[in-house]
Amino acid sequence: MVLSQKLHEAFKGTVERITNPRTVSAFKEKGVLSITEFVLAGDNLVSKCPTWSWESGEPSKRKSYLPPGKQFLITRNVPCLRRAASVEEEYEAAGGEVLLDNEDNDGWLATHGNPKDNKHEEEENLPSMETLEISKKNTIQSIASHFGGEEEEDIPDMAEYEEPDNLIETDPATLQSTYLVAQEPDDDNILRTRTYDVSITYDKYYQTPRVWLTGYDEVTIEDHPHLPGKHASVHPCRHGAVMKKIIDVLMSRGVEPEVDKYLFLFLKFVASVIPTIEYDYTMDFDLGSSST
Amino acid sequence: MTEKESGSVLQFAPFQSAVDEGFWHRLSSLKLNKFGIDESPIPITGFYSPCTNSRVSNHLSLIAESLPPEPSEQSSVTTNVGNRNRCSVPGILYNTNTFEGFHALNKQGLLKAEAQKVWDDIHSGKAEEDCAVLSRFLLISFADIKKWSFHYWFAFPALVLDPPATLVDLRPASQWLSLDEAESLSAACNEWRSSSVTTDVPFFFVSIASNSHATIKHLKEWPSCQQDGNKFLFGFYDPCHLPTNPSWPLRNFLALIGSRWNLEKVCFFCYRENRGFADLSLSLIGEALLSVSQGFPEHKNHICSGWKDTHLVPNAVGWEFNRGKKVPRCISLAQSMDPKRLAISAA
Repeated sequence: MVLSQKLHEAFKGTVERITNPRTVSAFKEKGVLSITEFVLAGDNLVSKCPTWSWESGEPSKRKSYLPPGKQFLITRNVPCLRRAASVEEEYEAAGGEVLLDNEDNDGWLATHGNPKDNKHEEEENLPSMETLEISKKNTIQSIASHFGGEEEEDIPDMAEYEEPDNLIETDPATLQSTYLVAQEPDDDNILRTRTYDVSITYDKYYQTPRVWLTGYDEVTIEDHPHLPGKHASVHPCRHGAVMKKIIDVLMSRGVEPEVDKYLFLFLKFVASVIPTIEYDYTMDFDLGSSST
Repeated sequence: MTEKESGSVLQFAPFQSAVDEGFWHRLSSLKLNKFGIDESPIPITGFYSPCTNSRVSNHLSLIAESLPPEPSEQSSVTTNVGNRNRCSVPGILYNTNTFEGFHALNKQGLLKAEAQKVWDDIHSGKAEEDCAVLSRFLLISFADIKKWSFHYWFAFPALVLDPPATLVDLRPASQWLSLDEAESLSAACNEWRSSSVTTDVPFFFVSIASNSHATIKHLKEWPSCQQDGNKFLFGFYDPCHLPTNPSWPLRNFLALIGSRWNLEKVCFFCYRENRGFADLSLSLIGEALLSVSQGFPEHKNHICSGWKDTHLVPNAVGWEFNRGKKVPRCISLAQSMDPKRLAISAA
């Protein structure tokens, strides 16, 4: 984390402590969300998309302004699919969507610089299903580097510890793990699958939800507000403005956005920033009631 | 890969573990502030859910809440009862003080001890009351807190049928069932999963009446249902996505069905979801034959006592492979735990 980022975090923390949480809706005017609205939208997401659930997280990190059992939302083991050859096109396509708000190219828009890194890293990676902690890549930026980046240096030579006969389980009923590899052969035409945990917290300062990815090397790495360790997040500084634009577009089409659908809209926006992860299964949902 | 000829050995896709960083953070803290050098085993809880996607299997996850709360925390910890994405699996952690101690652990003995628990729960009837005890896991670890590195190894004890169960048929549930049956079962599953009472109950059986109506029942209801002439499917939450194999939790369930309920022909139902809802084209139904007459290996010489001799525990397998090898895993969290490195990355 750079110093300016640190300073800003400190400032933000202070502001959060001394300001009252938003209680009046400014959803349509500003694209932001009050705490009550966040909980409402979260409940709706959980009920429509049951792979999402509310969590309470670390007790020591609990925010008093949120219900203890509804501190943040999480969905685990979300596949990230990419056809190696189509990464560029995907990003192009995503860029098109993100241009909803193209006044300046800073903030989250800059995250588009990363796909090549990912591609590279994916090529090196063994089956993603083997989870992140055994991933070998070692980029400082990468959240995944917290998971075994030091593997080579720290692991004693395990060959010498490979178990003697007493652990050889010649069990014909065990499916050998080759299927893990078969799922992802080293072939560019085959879909590669990695999985991530995706969580959504409420950012009191920006009054928007904020998305966090465990195991992704995009954008800022910061302390998760409810979970231990560093996690990647899309910085929320532009969320309100972008959400406002999306809401305006919907309204111009005669759709009246409902606040409980906010997180569906939000995930659509996030999916446009980092398009390869299947964050949500909300694409088919009607995003607002028709104003007729 | 499974062979498709009739009578092939029924093969189970192993459970896969996934440990959140938060688990190691809390373990380190507990080690420093509470356990000290005490190496007593610690009861922990793993979580899993049915497969939610046709392309990836779900894991058994360990998170911070898998461990007991830290001393500083009031035990106002909210319970996870009724969280559909967190079905509890009881586990036990052996965390050693040294690397040598880690490698000196009697792995077969520890695995056997866990298998014994499963076997005892099957025969005491406990597994029918609380089916979560049918899946257990064992975690051995060495937490090198000075280097922020953690060596660990999971085992998912499974009772071994000898001879193995043979697979007669395995198809997507939607192909196995009639349209009406599939519709009824799908609705029943969604209802089961949306009720906070049953959502994290991972083993059950399905009774399908002649009018195609499917009902999901708790295991303890089996004795009163088996005579009613309906079709039965023995269902479990299947974390695996493969169309070719059921996964690990079915193994101990089959042990219960074969040794406690004495069934030789079993229709099993691998319950899977898509986008959080029952998906019967991803779910599988299979028919397996259990050789009850021969029983578990130690029973071969005890033809008369057979299944009921609960002192003789079957063989167990289940140490997790690490990239195809029987070796522990290691994770370094120096980047997120080492104050020096944190200072550097913050500069």
